[in-house]
Amino acid sequence: VTRDAADLLRRQLRDFGVAALLAIVVISTAFVAVRNRELASGQIELASRAVTAIASTPSAAAPIETVPPGVHAVVVGPATASTARPYLRRREVVDERGGSSTGRRELGGASAGADDKLFYDLASRIERDGGVAELLPDGSGRAIAGKIVEIMHDGSGRAVVVERSPAGAIAIAVTAEARPAPYPFLVVIGVLGLGLALAAAGGLVGGRAARLGSFAGISTLAVPALLWHAWVAAAVIAVVALAVALAQRAQLTDRLFTGIRRHKTALGFLAPAALAMLVLVATPFLIGIILGFYDHHHGTWTFVGFDNFIEILSGGGHPLDDPMNFWFILGVTVLWTAANVMLHVTIGVLLALALSRKWLVGRGVFRMLLILPWAIPNYITALIWKGMFDGEYGAINSLLHLFGLDDVSWFGSWATAFAANVATNTWLGFPFMMVVALGALGSIPRDLYEAASVDGASAWQRFRHITLPHLRPALGPAVALGSIWTFNMFNVIFLVSAGKPGGSTNILVTDAYRWAFERGERYGMAAAYATIIFLVLLLWTVFGTRIVRSKDADA
Amino acid sequence: VKIWLVAIALVMACGEPREPGVVLWHAYTGLERDALEQSAATWNREHPTTPITLVAVPYDAFADKLTSAIPGGNGPDLFIYPHDRIGDWSAAGVIEPIEYWVDDARAERFSNEAIEAMAYKGSLWGLPLAVKSLAMYYRTDLVDHPPASTDELVALGPKMHAAGGFALAYANVDLYGHAPWLHGFGGRVMDDDTLMIATPEAATAMSFARSLVAGGVVPADAQGPLVASLFNEGRAATVMSGPWFVTDIAKGVPWKVAPLPIVSATGKPAAPFLGVEGILMSARARDKDLAFAVMDALTSDAQATMRARVARQVVANVRAYDEPDIASDPVLAAFRAQTTVTMPKAPGMRMVWTPYRTALGEVLAGRADPAAQLLSVEREVHRYLEHL
Repeated sequence: VTRDAADLLRRQLRDFGVAALLAIVVISTAFVAVRNRELASGQIELASRAVTAIASTPSAAAPIETVPPGVHAVVVGPATASTARPYLRRREVVDERGGSSTGRRELGGASAGADDKLFYDLASRIERDGGVAELLPDGSGRAIAGKIVEIMHDGSGRAVVVERSPAGAIAIAVTAEARPAPYPFLVVIGVLGLGLALAAAGGLVGGRAARLGSFAGISTLAVPALLWHAWVAAAVIAVVALAVALAQRAQLTDRLFTGIRRHKTALGFLAPAALAMLVLVATPFLIGIILGFYDHHHGTWTFVGFDNFIEILSGGGHPLDDPMNFWFILGVTVLWTAANVMLHVTIGVLLALALSRKWLVGRGVFRMLLILPWAIPNYITALIWKGMFDGEYGAINSLLHLFGLDDVSWFGSWATAFAANVATNTWLGFPFMMVVALGALGSIPRDLYEAASVDGASAWQRFRHITLPHLRPALGPAVALGSIWTFNMFNVIFLVSAGKPGGSTNILVTDAYRWAFERGERYGMAAAYATIIFLVLLLWTVFGTRIVRSKDADA
Repeated sequence: VKIWLVAIALVMACGEPREPGVVLWHAYTGLERDALEQSAATWNREHPTTPITLVAVPYDAFADKLTSAIPGGNGPDLFIYPHDRIGDWSAAGVIEPIEYWVDDARAERFSNEAIEAMAYKGSLWGLPLAVKSLAMYYRTDLVDHPPASTDELVALGPKMHAAGGFALAYANVDLYGHAPWLHGFGGRVMDDDTLMIATPEAATAMSFARSLVAGGVVPADAQGPLVASLFNEGRAATVMSGPWFVTDIAKGVPWKVAPLPIVSATGKPAAPFLGVEGILMSARARDKDLAFAVMDALTSDAQATMRARVARQVVANVRAYDEPDIASDPVLAAFRAQTTVTMPKAPGMRMVWTPYRTALGEVLAGRADPAAQLLSVEREVHRYLEHL
């Protein structure tokens, strides 16, 4: 009986421990967010009071204490600009409180105080912009016209408030550096202990009380979140608590942990790879998807919901035949992929058939030469082809000259630019298909051909009914893979035609690049593009490859 | 246990504060880089406790790296960049206004157009180092004097064409290369914040550029390296390019530089864009007073003189030209004599380059009508501006 009780308690504490870890992450996040918001609004409150004080009651009329301690406030008079260079101005402090000096003094020069540059620039800024309300870092924006209200971006936590009087005097207040409240270790340890006690008590009783104890114990951790009015965090913890209790009822937690214990070695081996996948694949992927819902402007991200996706899928107000329209680019991309894969497979299979002839002398040499385009880094190949397609000095036009033909401006029209891209990528792509086909050809039993010959089958019939069906299982996955590679073949498009003429030979990935780096750093749009590309390829791998496979079944 | 020790060491290494001094990013190469390194060495000898650390960043990646690094607090304290992004970066709070430290006495040493390029919306955002514009390089063995007007230039065409060459080579698909004609015909890209892309003058300028290509006066779609090889092979009598072209000219080629010709149709000089390279301060610079002292020292009379000598930079500090050897340098003199239009620095400007390039490509290939193309450029830029 005691062993059973001890075992039950151990399991109870184990479940509580895992849930508590999760809960602590949640309440810590909530705490940091709440703390920053409170700090920001407190600082701004102080600065606002100081600005009002110094603007309404000049020093001569009121005692110094009208400004809260730690706040430095000044009134800056109208600027005097240099006649030759109006952007060079002198400014003067006409009233000052909370600083080291008082009375009139010039901003800058030998007597420069610690905050003088800040005051000077804020005065210039409110004159320039007329004062704009800035969004606070925690998102609680304040729309106040004719005023600057913000937390400084340098990590000091100082708040500034600037107000301009109709007469042209500018009142500025800046708070002292503020450190956010320390992490409440005692509170967290306290609720952890209380929760642990509740869970343990339930575990000692056993049965339904154990599950009740788990729920109550984990829910206790939501109490600090409730105190900070972090409702979402509290709700998340409550859901976790409920989930643990329900899982215990179905004995899911026991099964999970027994499983983990049983496969400890296997999991240990998997862990490094899983961690790498998580960090290198899953995280960027998730972040990429999330960014698609944001709009980027100079380092600030604003949530815009589905706006980016709507702008892309609606074509952004461009007609359907405009290279800026998503559907146009998608059409080009699909055409590009289809043309390439068809050429890769045809050329690859033909060359593989030629190379598999026993009578061919120097097969090894030919095979090596034909694989070579694959072995050279594709951007180098792309740059070489781009040079060869050059309108005036390229090798291809020189060849045309030899045959007495006219120059072709390859990147001058859509069809020739597209053809140049396809030619380059075919050169890069056929060796892969050839290698796959060669492998498959080698595995076809010789006696099949002998039997067919005996039956009087022609060479075509042997190819059609023996070779082709045996190539299909190998070529199917290769085609699926090749189509995905080609769909996203950034290097060739970007380096060979670079979208010329007029962006009409862009494919989806190169256009996504342009959104990120050539159209005003619209990273959100680029991320939304990437997400759409992913969905298109997902649909293709799920349904498209099924079509390829069903053809196999027919054959 | 070892793993934990390594992890702790790593965390401590990351948390280590940066040493005092000023980090300066630049994209200079060759002689300009040598000159900048000399300037930095001079400062470091005099200020061993607060040295300048130079970081060379490739030009194509420069702006992107800056806009992502500075707001995160990982950027440089100072950086060198042309003035045309000032509108953008000042609005975004990436760069620090510096007029607080500057008075007339300090500003006098710079040419007026250079320091004015650093001013935007009533503030000063940097100190100018050097100005860059296009001018006309010509081979003295092919032409005895530079074409004074576009008519003369076009008249040179058939003679060069007969020898398999061109009267002029320049990067004509790029707005930067096309700008002299645009301004010579009276067009503009923008005026303060207002777009002026789709104008009859701009359309005339584009038609003119097309006529140069169609008449065989200018090679179609010429890029930098091609322009240089045409000039070196004697297949281009003249080239429109900037000060950087000097190092591309092969040894033994007889050449001179002169201001660009007059546009015969309007009587106005072909005026290229003026780009002013300045030292700008990051809004997150660690020690701003120190950073400004470095800016001031790098743009001083002595350093400007050195840069004009070592790198043959068209320096913005006009006092350098008091030195007789610099005043008499024919290359610097030609670039100083060149009439220019200061490149716009409003936030919308950087959206103009790519669509304009596309439009030029279409028109120069004879596929599209200039007016319609310019209209679509203006529309596209408007669409980006709505986002800004």
